[in-house]
Amino acid sequence: MPHPTISVCEGYFPEEPVAPVVVTSSPGPKLKKAADALNKVFDSRAAYFVADYAKSQGNYIVDVDGNSYLDVYAQIASIPLGYNNPKLVEVAKSDKMTSAIINRPALGNFPGADTEEIIAELLKVAPKGQDKVWSGLSGADANELAFKAAFMWYQSKKRGYSSGFSTEETESVMKNQAPGSPELAIMSFERAFHGRLFASASTTCSKPIHKLDLPSFNWPKAEFPSYKYPLEANVAANQEEDRRCLAIVENLLKTWAVPIAAVLIEPIQSEGGDNHASNEFFQGLRDVTLKYGSLLIVDEVQTGVGATGTFWAHEHFNMSPPPDMVTFSKKFQSAGYYFHDPEIIPNQPYRQFNTWCGDPARMILAGAIGKEVVDKDLAKQAARVGNYLYPKLEALAGKYPAYMADLRGKNRATFIAWSFKDASLRNKFLADMKTVGINVGGCAEDSVRLRPTLVFEEKHADILVAGIEKILSSY
Amino acid sequence: MLSARFSRVSPTLAAFRTVSKTKQAKSATAGAIAYRKGIRYNSTAALYYPNEPKKPQAVTDSIPGPVSVELNEVLGEVFDNRASYFVTDYDNSIGNYISDKDGNQLLDVYCQISSIPLGYNNPELFKTAQSKEMASALINRPALACFPPAEYANILKEGILAAAPPGTDKVWTALSGSCANETAYKAAFMYLAAKKRGSLDFSDEELTSVMNNEAPGSPETVILSFDKGFHGRLFGSLSTTRSKALHKLDIPAFKWPKAPFPALKYPLNEHSRENAEEEARCLAEFEEIICQYPPHTIAAIIVEPVQSEGGDNHASSVFFQGLRDITIKYDILMIVDEVQTGVGASGKFWAHEHWNLTTPPDMVTFSKKFQAAGFYYSNPNLQPKQAYRQFNTWCGDPSKALIARTIYQEVVKNDLVTKTASVGDYLYKELDSLFKRHPGKAKNLRGEDYGTFIAFDCANPTKRNEFLLRMRGAGINIGGCGDFSVRLRPTLVFEKSHAAVLLSAMETTLQEL
Ligand SMILES: Cc1ncc(COP(=O)(O)O)c(C=O)c1O
Ligand SMILES: Cc1ncc(COP(=O)(O)O)c(C=O)c1O
Repeated sequence: MPHPTISVCEGYFPEEPVAPVVVTSSPGPKLKKAADALNKVFDSRAAYFVADYAKSQGNYIVDVDGNSYLDVYAQIASIPLGYNNPKLVEVAKSDKMTSAIINRPALGNFPGADTEEIIAELLKVAPKGQDKVWSGLSGADANELAFKAAFMWYQSKKRGYSSGFSTEETESVMKNQAPGSPELAIMSFERAFHGRLFASASTTCSKPIHKLDLPSFNWPKAEFPSYKYPLEANVAANQEEDRRCLAIVENLLKTWAVPIAAVLIEPIQSEGGDNHASNEFFQGLRDVTLKYGSLLIVDEVQTGVGATGTFWAHEHFNMSPPPDMVTFSKKFQSAGYYFHDPEIIPNQPYRQFNTWCGDPARMILAGAIGKEVVDKDLAKQAARVGNYLYPKLEALAGKYPAYMADLRGKNRATFIAWSFKDASLRNKFLADMKTVGINVGGCAEDSVRLRPTLVFEEKHADILVAGIEKILSSY
Repeated sequence: MLSARFSRVSPTLAAFRTVSKTKQAKSATAGAIAYRKGIRYNSTAALYYPNEPKKPQAVTDSIPGPVSVELNEVLGEVFDNRASYFVTDYDNSIGNYISDKDGNQLLDVYCQISSIPLGYNNPELFKTAQSKEMASALINRPALACFPPAEYANILKEGILAAAPPGTDKVWTALSGSCANETAYKAAFMYLAAKKRGSLDFSDEELTSVMNNEAPGSPETVILSFDKGFHGRLFGSLSTTRSKALHKLDIPAFKWPKAPFPALKYPLNEHSRENAEEEARCLAEFEEIICQYPPHTIAAIIVEPVQSEGGDNHASSVFFQGLRDITIKYDILMIVDEVQTGVGASGKFWAHEHWNLTTPPDMVTFSKKFQAAGFYYSNPNLQPKQAYRQFNTWCGDPSKALIARTIYQEVVKNDLVTKTASVGDYLYKELDSLFKRHPGKAKNLRGEDYGTFIAFDCANPTKRNEFLLRMRGAGINIGGCGDFSVRLRPTLVFEKSHAAVLLSAMETTLQEL
């Protein structure tokens, strides 16, 4: 494919570095000092490095020692258009933004004159079949708000949407007891990640460390397909795996001790290891949730906003009918859920409610991000770059099979991952990549995931591939 | 339908409305310069807002007016706005006055459910919002725990941490009141488990059971809260919220315990013996509930200095010291929820400073007026031993930390806590005599010596709702709490002149009620 003379990335970032610059070993001296200072008041033991955001540009993140890394981790998959994107600078400096920051509204009580317009921008990029939105503040928050909507919906189906509450309900609920506070569940999947507040952590099933010592709801887990790779060579086995997993889902819907109000799933299980499943699996899930009267919530917190080659990853599956709710956060900067059934809005005001009900400052940014992605066709561009990158990685995997197993993400743009034999090798690889100026992250115990921005282009892919090869060839 | 009884829009105000927000901010900045040159103003509001209206202005016969109604209809198609009072014109809101899209301008003593600290379109916040730092914080939002910006430590130290309650020196940041509380609960649960476990690593049994959401990895430990408490609406926080059924119905909850909160009689000085007995009763019952649980099951208690959503229920320092003593006796953490009470409104920066506890609380949560959210603490063991346990993608929001820094610095620079305390004293006394003039209509005045954090009761829920609506008709945006209470939650630049406007509207409204 011929490249345009000026790429989208070059248009945004004429000054973007042409290559990483590594001036100190990691962590450098300034970084150590800065991290120690911060750690005294704010737990920063998970810090990779202390960043200098003013100097970061496009796909490059700069640390306090002046190292400039090509960033394919991008704030845990949450930078959409590169650092210091000029379009977003404009939005950040706009009057609208200033007002949103200094006059932060309690949106449920006092929506602003521009609230409708701000939300209209979010809805322009709503997943197919969705036309309403409720806003939250983070991925975990978005999911939990969706759970609340699902539980209220489920009870309203039993009670009748416009029926009132019984005295027994209003009394028992104040003791956290049924029937007012009913025994209901959200079903999720093994290896899933949906956040770390109490209910979202109850659906998260990626690693013990995410969950240990926290009380949780005893909600069911189905199995997510574990495919054999390469997919082309394992079609029958993987179809059988789909059937096996769907049977588990159905069995749980039928037999779990308490009703399952909703099934929650990621289009690609990201924190849990970039586990993919087929269109047939997702359609099967849609069918079985309809059959048993549960809602289907698709968690697009990590997969959403273009990185898989479509604006929303589940659009690849062509599910019919569309999911009942789609949650988002991360790259969109604003969080929340899309939906379409008006009965997913609780029957009375103040039930799905909190002080702020979202953050217009973040919603304005989300609208601007959505617009840029659409105007510049960045989902398609990500697909193009992914299609360029994937075969190169495939070739590397052929050359270094010991370090690149189960390459995943073909036809999923830059949403690519592979596995190492074990955690220690993987961790060494991630650390070694810093020495060639690349910031890359892992997922699950043994995998590497690529989560670059949407302005990651062929030239960046070349640098990435060369960096990987340099490290792997040294093993 | 209510008719508007406050004055029609004035030509000067109409002119003011056409002045852009930027100009308002600039003229206020000129005021600030004058101030620094040594001209002392008593009124911070006048300094910030030379063009702040002197009184409410009405242009429609009822609020919400036709424009609000129409805009809300369109919005309602895509966003649940059934709780909307009216559609706000934030660009034309200024200082203590909130404007709606019909052009009505109301004195605001509700302030976005108690979350506007320095008034609308504050010029100092305006500067912060327009700063380079802010732009970077907005568009390069970091995953704070993994890639903190170099300046984050200082932003915290000069702002959120400079404001830390006595006895605390660290902070974990979050995004809302609910998530501030839930992250504090997580810290408490992990702390308790680590303590029980001693220096041992996780057992195999814990590691496997937790993946099935089962004990021992996912233990049956609890947070104790109080009857009528409000701590948020996510699943953990909602399990501790005990304000109203409507907040909780249909949502699965943890079976966590609640203890009674004192129901004091007013006026306090006429009921001191009964109230002391009531507090002693509640403390005894609290201790009894604790004793019903095996040791090391209750990770923490959470309590508000004033139960706000639940009706502005106060208790004395003796009660809170009692809670502190008992929690120490049973080795239970004490979390004070300052989401609504924090940041100056009570006449102290943190309301729990009124108590002078012998041992400070273990964690103090905040949000709302501070714009940034999170919890303060000092014990390093409240930070789990392993990284990535108290963790999420963003771990807070540096753009809000920048705003919080300006808020803190402005509060200090302009001595707004002291000023709020003194306006509160004036207001309280005036309300007291007002209610005496209208016996039976408003009672149980609460919040003496407690800044502007004042509330009172109406005869019943219907009368309360009527009171709120009539006040809106009289140009005051005001909120309720509990079933039949009215709460005042003005900004920190609510001054005597604003109090006078409020009082006169109340006088008329009470007469008519
Ligand atoms: C799929 C998915 N859902 C939810 C979350 C939680 O988001 P947050 O960290 O913003 O709470 C994540 C975060 O990694 C995620 O990947
Ligand atoms: C004391 C208290 N805690 C927690 C909350 C919850 O805060 P948020 O609505 O930001 O989740 C509130 C909100 O009213 C509150 O008043």
